[in-house]
Amino acid sequence: MQRRHRTLPELKAHESAQTISFTDHALACKLTAMGVLPGATIEMIRKAPFGDAFYVKVDGVRLALRTDEAKQILLTV
Amino acid sequence: MSNDAQQLRPLKVGLIGNPNSGKSTVFNQLTGLRQKTGNFPGVTVEIKVGSFTLPKGQKVSLIDFPGAYSLYPTSSDEKVLAEVLSNPGDANFPDMLVYIADVTNLEKHLLLFSQILDLQIPAILVLNMMDVAAEEGIRVQTQTLAAKLGVAVVAVSGRTGENIAQLKAQMEQLAGTTPLATKPFYTLTENECSVAEAVKMNFGTENGYRALLIAHHKDWLPFLSVPERAMLTTIQDTKQFQSLRAQVEETMTRFDRFVPIVKSAVQQPSAFPLTFTDRLDGVLTHRFFGPLIFFGIMALVFMCIFYGYEITGGWVEGAMGWLIEQAEALTTPLNMAWLTDFITKGILEGLKGVLVFIPQIALLSLLIALLEESGYLTRVVFMFDRMMQRFGMNGRSIVALIGGGACAVPAIKGTRTITNWKERIITIMVTPFISCSARIPVYMVLIPIALPNAGWWIWAQVFGGMYVLGVVVALLSGWVLKKILRSTEQSFLTLHMPVYRVPHWKNVWLTVVDKVKSFVSGVWKPIIIITSVLWLLSSFGPGDIASKARASAEEEIALGHVPDSLRGDLEASYKLEYSWAGKIGKFIEPAIRPLGYDWKIGIGILSSFLAREVFNSTMYIIYSLESVGKIEEGAAGDQKPFERYSSLKDRMLNDTFRDTHQKIYTPATGLSLLVFYALAMQCMSTLVVVKQETGKWRWAIIQFVFMGAIAYLFAWLTFLAVNAF
Repeated sequence: MQRRHRTLPELKAHESAQTISFTDHALACKLTAMGVLPGATIEMIRKAPFGDAFYVKVDGVRLALRTDEAKQILLTV
Repeated sequence: MSNDAQQLRPLKVGLIGNPNSGKSTVFNQLTGLRQKTGNFPGVTVEIKVGSFTLPKGQKVSLIDFPGAYSLYPTSSDEKVLAEVLSNPGDANFPDMLVYIADVTNLEKHLLLFSQILDLQIPAILVLNMMDVAAEEGIRVQTQTLAAKLGVAVVAVSGRTGENIAQLKAQMEQLAGTTPLATKPFYTLTENECSVAEAVKMNFGTENGYRALLIAHHKDWLPFLSVPERAMLTTIQDTKQFQSLRAQVEETMTRFDRFVPIVKSAVQQPSAFPLTFTDRLDGVLTHRFFGPLIFFGIMALVFMCIFYGYEITGGWVEGAMGWLIEQAEALTTPLNMAWLTDFITKGILEGLKGVLVFIPQIALLSLLIALLEESGYLTRVVFMFDRMMQRFGMNGRSIVALIGGGACAVPAIKGTRTITNWKERIITIMVTPFISCSARIPVYMVLIPIALPNAGWWIWAQVFGGMYVLGVVVALLSGWVLKKILRSTEQSFLTLHMPVYRVPHWKNVWLTVVDKVKSFVSGVWKPIIIITSVLWLLSSFGPGDIASKARASAEEEIALGHVPDSLRGDLEASYKLEYSWAGKIGKFIEPAIRPLGYDWKIGIGILSSFLAREVFNSTMYIIYSLESVGKIEEGAAGDQKPFERYSSLKDRMLNDTFRDTHQKIYTPATGLSLLVFYALAMQCMSTLVVVKQETGKWRWAIIQFVFMGAIAYLFAWLTFLAVNAF
């Protein structure tokens, strides 16, 4: 069966996708407040030097996210 | 309100906005040096209040709230705003709000503003960073925004000061009018409406959105009583209200409403070009170069402070020397030796303890402010978050730990940038383990005593080893504390990394002034008290210790062991032995004997509480070398580091225990003492700052006991291990 979504950590560097939804309410609250809404374009920039964090760009805004947080973001395939 | 009343009571204006909106720049432009820092009652969140006067004479008290994205807070910083705005009875509840938004990113900056609108507090929307907008080719129709949002809009630049006067005029105009009841920006859903109605009925809240906020935050709002909380829970249950889901939906609805408004008023270049920030981040957050550059920068910061200490320490010594001379000249005619002694060795010694830290605090806060203002620190947090998470801290903690290598006092003051309470407490607790500059002179004396025959090369290795020991113990303690401390606060990284900017001199300067001021005002009293107590303990004892000391010195000189020229030094040594401090030293000897220490080291450890480097001068007194010590300590420039204290070294190495007649300073004792000095909490300034920063003596006491226990344990293990070896 073809997957209908993937999560943020699956993106390669400089790959973009649209956000679909968030699987954690508390994080959704924080992310939407910062302007990361369902439907936003999110681009993977790079992984942190010691791993476990991602540098992403959402509509031109630069954000740092932990892997635990990034996993809660569902993206279009 | 009549005109007279207005003149008397300052207008309370709240300054709010998202993090990175340039809020503090506008705050500094409006208030300049007329600002003071305090804490919000009950929490350790910083509040800055500034004052200025509007053109027609109305006084304004401007409250700088911590940056927040929304009234649905995720950190203790953000909670403050939600708490104050949901309670009109709060002392900080503003008459008016000035909302700062970054115009280059307006779409992301209006959420909180739209929530403010619904609370019906008079507000001005300030579009900040107009200078950057002009550079990027962004054009804004402020009239369109003002008409569609129904508020006054002022476009300013905090950095250039452009239109700040117009902002003041606008505040004046708004202060004179009564707010009109406007249609809410966000229409409550049916479910939210029924919850809000129930809250309104029971709490007498008039505003529907405020009632909804109270329902959302029922679990933590401090002004609610237990029965009120229970009632709110019942309301939520009967209405089947799901708080978190409702918050997310509300946020999305709000965005849906204001994004089109922003689009209609702001024209910006459609694409997001690869900017200077992106190119710089390609290097500064690079897998290999990123951490490398960071450690390079930190090495520079460390060196600045280290050399700054060498230079300014000399100035402070000089200034204090002069002051002591003056005090002696003034008090000697009074013929009260104790008063002279108390002023020169008690009060002024304590004052010196405060003064030596000021240049260090100023320098470190200057360097950190530059890094913070430029936007670099958020990248550091991103790079090191993972590593520090393992040890119960967060990316920002690494800055404190490295600053601790210079001095724990400014480093601990810098932890305010850590928003998670648990991570901040852990950082504060472990930072003093890092070897600071005050430990260096003690290491210089003790290393050659521990390993007298080893030579320069090994001594330098041991010296470096002390730093490694500090870092390892700090991280391990962090890991342990992470397991012990409980926190319900969810820890997020989710961090916005702003574009790189050249730091604004005014912000940097005001930060430095603020840090120094709050340090001095917070610590001088406790330090004077502790200093006086230590002085009393070492100057007085049971009976007439001065004549007893004189008699003992006389006896020893008569026996011919000591030349008459050292009479004064010998008397001072006996006086200390007979004093309360000496008694305490002897009293605690059984407790420290397992570590290989005698009562003299006990006195040294006690007096080190004033500041670690006092260990050396105490040892000079104990070994009847007071006059020699002044010469040796002064000979800083002429001798190699480890040779500065040579006569003290000889005297200490020959000393024996009175009961067993064995040498005190074996390698085991020396190394054990080194470990003890590396790990024990022996700095009252740090403890006072910990109290200041955590708001409670409790944490300072816990830290003292915790570090003391670890120091004792490690020193004991070192003693056993070296002896077995």
